[in-house]
Amino acid sequence: MPRRSVALRVLAVVTVAVVTLLFVVLILDAFRNDGKPLTTLRPEGPSSQSIQNLMAPVFFVALLVGIGVFGVVFYAAWKFRQRGTDDPEQFPDQVHGRTGLEIGWTILPALILAGVAVATVMTIIDLEKRAPDAIRVEVYGQQWWWGYKYDLNNDGVFDIETATEMVIPVGREVDLKVTSNDVIHSFWIPGLNGKKDAVPGQRNDLKVEADIEGVFLGQCTEFCGLSHANMRMLVRSVSADTFDQWAANQQTKAVEPTGAQAKEGLTLFKAQCAQCHIINGIDDGPDRPPVPLVSGIAPNLTHFMTRGTFAGSIFNLYSPQGDPILGNPELTANPGDPGATLVGGPVDTTKVNRAVLEAWLRNSPAMKPAYAQGGRGMPNLGLSEAQIDQLVAYLETLY
Amino acid sequence: MAITEDRPVEPLALPSGETDADYKPAGVFTRPKASKGWRSWVTTVDHKKIGIMYGATALFFFIVGGVEALLLRAQLWAPRGTLLSADLYNQLYTMHGTTMIFLVVMPIGAAFANYLMPLQIGARDVAFPRINAFSYWTYLSAGLFLNSSWFLGGGADGGWFNYAPNNGVLFSPSHGIDYWNLGLLIAGVASLTGAVNLIVTVLNMRAPGMSLMRMPVFTWMTLVTQFLLLFAIPVLTAAQVLLMMDRLFDANFFNVSKGASPLLWQHLFWIFGHPEVYLMILPAFGLVSDILPTFSRKPIFGYPFIVFSGVAIGFMGWGVWAHHMFVSGIGPISVTAFALTTMFIAVPTGVKILNWTATMWGGKLQFTAPMLFAIGLVLMFTIGGLSGVTSAVAPGDTQQTDTYYIVAHFHYVLFGGAFFGFMAGFYYYWSKVFGYMLNETLGKANFWLMLLAFNLTFAPMHILGLQGMSRRIYTYDSGYGFELWNRVATIGAFILASSIALFIFNIFYSKAKAKKLPPVSPDPWDARTIEWMTPSPVPEYNFDPVPTISRVDDFWYRKYGETKDGALVRIAETDDVVQKRSDGKHIHLPSPSYWPVVVAVGLPIVAYGLLYTLWLSLIGGIIVVGGIFGWALEPPDDPEAGHDDDDHAPDDHSASGDEAVAVGASAEVADDESAAEKVGEPVG
Repeated sequence: MPRRSVALRVLAVVTVAVVTLLFVVLILDAFRNDGKPLTTLRPEGPSSQSIQNLMAPVFFVALLVGIGVFGVVFYAAWKFRQRGTDDPEQFPDQVHGRTGLEIGWTILPALILAGVAVATVMTIIDLEKRAPDAIRVEVYGQQWWWGYKYDLNNDGVFDIETATEMVIPVGREVDLKVTSNDVIHSFWIPGLNGKKDAVPGQRNDLKVEADIEGVFLGQCTEFCGLSHANMRMLVRSVSADTFDQWAANQQTKAVEPTGAQAKEGLTLFKAQCAQCHIINGIDDGPDRPPVPLVSGIAPNLTHFMTRGTFAGSIFNLYSPQGDPILGNPELTANPGDPGATLVGGPVDTTKVNRAVLEAWLRNSPAMKPAYAQGGRGMPNLGLSEAQIDQLVAYLETLY
Repeated sequence: MAITEDRPVEPLALPSGETDADYKPAGVFTRPKASKGWRSWVTTVDHKKIGIMYGATALFFFIVGGVEALLLRAQLWAPRGTLLSADLYNQLYTMHGTTMIFLVVMPIGAAFANYLMPLQIGARDVAFPRINAFSYWTYLSAGLFLNSSWFLGGGADGGWFNYAPNNGVLFSPSHGIDYWNLGLLIAGVASLTGAVNLIVTVLNMRAPGMSLMRMPVFTWMTLVTQFLLLFAIPVLTAAQVLLMMDRLFDANFFNVSKGASPLLWQHLFWIFGHPEVYLMILPAFGLVSDILPTFSRKPIFGYPFIVFSGVAIGFMGWGVWAHHMFVSGIGPISVTAFALTTMFIAVPTGVKILNWTATMWGGKLQFTAPMLFAIGLVLMFTIGGLSGVTSAVAPGDTQQTDTYYIVAHFHYVLFGGAFFGFMAGFYYYWSKVFGYMLNETLGKANFWLMLLAFNLTFAPMHILGLQGMSRRIYTYDSGYGFELWNRVATIGAFILASSIALFIFNIFYSKAKAKKLPPVSPDPWDARTIEWMTPSPVPEYNFDPVPTISRVDDFWYRKYGETKDGALVRIAETDDVVQKRSDGKHIHLPSPSYWPVVVAVGLPIVAYGLLYTLWLSLIGGIIVVGGIFGWALEPPDDPEAGHDDDDHAPDDHSASGDEAVAVGASAEVADDESAAEKVGEPVG
């Protein structure tokens, strides 16, 4: 046996102390979910709540089992350590095994797991149930943003097409069909439900429902290429009245702008942007050529200003304090709040996060990595500053 | 085959090894003779040298993968990190995972299996020594090929799982995924040949008396691991051939726009990918099952339960793959079925943990560096196992999957489990392999530092994941509450790197110090299994004579006997039981060969040709085929080599040799006193 080293002993004690403290702090931190908008530990809807109801006891039992194993191992390590005074040729009892004990600790975990299994199956069944009055929405992912098609009256015809943000009425179930136009993505609003992959060629079921009004953030969680990290989504849960107003406004078509600068902007839009972006009433005619992107679609901009965020929900469209906000919808008290514009009110141009919107039009690949040359993502259009101003003026008429 | 045939008394028992000194089938080639210098390493077929090369290469790639991990952690130090571009981050995380799994953890398992398993079963070498060399060189060329992508247009950028259709040319036009795909196809050849080789070795080449249920647990776990490889690798290979056809020749297996289902790739990948997880962890389980009893001074608790739980994991591991796909849109019945199978695979795993604990219970524990790492595995793997059970609960997994919770989970399994086990194995077996002990004080410091850093790095990821941080994101924003724990994890990662540096320092420090110390004892730990009978470092011939085995932990019971009331008494001094180094001249050993390395070099040339010009493939193909012909035609042996069979101790007890001479044809001769002589020999 090598001689004892004080430094070694200190290192061992520090390690055990730090790691123990670390685990205690981590467990406590699981209960601190303020300022963590993506947390799975504070459910705000019935589905996420039933997952939480299942998982809380599972985590608790796992923690108990873990503490038990650690306790037994530490106790054994302490109690049965070889002491310096022991004769190395004195041997402990040579126990080769005890079959009864072995069978016991084969059956015991199996019983615990059987209990977990029953609860699991019940929750799976619960999550598969659907409400008859649910709103049907098709959610499609593509590199690197989300689109939503609403079938409000369940007649098989989509009434609304929007992008980036999904608006839902509070307390009402929304049945999603999740799909993709290119690679596999995953739709995930942790506050409302678990995730579901968006697989091209499949329409996967998921339901969401919010118990409270508010904004719920999400993040694509299946690796989908270059800008996977920049593919986020946002759900706005609003009152039933607000939802109806929003839905009515979303079904209107865009009208020709009146301002001179905005008119220039529309001309520019038709020349530069309409190849990919659709604005209902402007360039959605039957003779429009297909969108030359791999996914075959770019965000529909008809009611652009009713959204609080853009570019895969990574930039705020509004900045209440007037300072530009780069990224992070959470930096404002109410993330990317479009205010009355949400339901079709006019845009308060003083609150538009203009610097970031202009930067996006100036050189979007610098703001969000993409493969525009490969038909994936928005290219640098080489616009002049005057043209950017015209485009922004036009975009501000889209509500 | 000739493995157990009756041998005449004349020299050279091998069927093709007539003592014909002029035997040169191709007219030109003789087998290389170098036993020292670099040539001996390139041409070696010695399982021990090959094991060392596996380990050294894996440690090299471990540093490569570790640097990749440090870059990832540095990028995530703060929100909106600017160290790496999105593209580079995606390449680095893909290559980190691929490197650590295929070029580090699996090969370290192969290193231990190669070096130890023949020693543990009392064999002279593996069954097919040249194929063993070929496996190693193929693994090396696969690893170099894969990493050459860094210099030839960038690494793969689709994740180690490379889901379709993102792995198609449309979405990943660079050659990165081709390098990944072809590199792993080549690595698959290495794994598959290695698996066949080691399975045949375990089944056919055990020493007299070494029945299956007398094998050390590490050998058992190696057997299970190699069976997992044997059946899992072909599934990956099939998927990768389809992908290769897709990417190179527009075959449309995974092209959604032509009607393909991208879930086909996921099923194939995970049918391989989940057994893969178990074949990475089981070798470490085996090591720990041999180390814990040594330092607890008592036998493993419930040897049959330890063995059969490992076998059960091997079988059940095939029925859980779709738990990687709970959110992919498979139906609720499938989800339920795979959730249940996944939960119940925790039962045999739990049995192992409890048996290890019971092994320690009531013992006299010696906290050496290998013992500390072994206990570290038991504890850290427990955390990884429990987080695995929480992920098996499918509804919970819909929140956890593809978040950092899963990153935490599998690092607790693969680092806290497999790698801690490997570290235990390194410290335990270092003197056996290299003839000098690693410094124990540094080793213990190594353990505590690694335990601290490992937990700092990966424990916070549990909470990061549960609070919503996705995997595989190159950046995150402030305002999500991710900053604190990402910083802790990054600090932990750099301390973890320093603990690895301490290990490497210990290797050189101890080697320098060892010059002043007396030669290391063959059995420094008072160990239990027969590999400790051999001198350290192990001579080329392993055992002289080959011991005859009469029970589990045979070596231990050569030193100690049990009285009627179960107390242990020493019956022989260790020095009298261990073997003395002999000149080994009378022992037949397989001759070195040039051809394994030639064939292995040809494979990546074929792969480069597929990417750049098919003419290169033709050249590579000629090298491969030519190498195989050279391999087949080279003389079987060095005709000058001395050879006779008096390599068993006259007093060796061969009472229960009947179970030893493992399979089939040999059974009828087993009662014969000469059964001990029938132990298999490598077939050149």
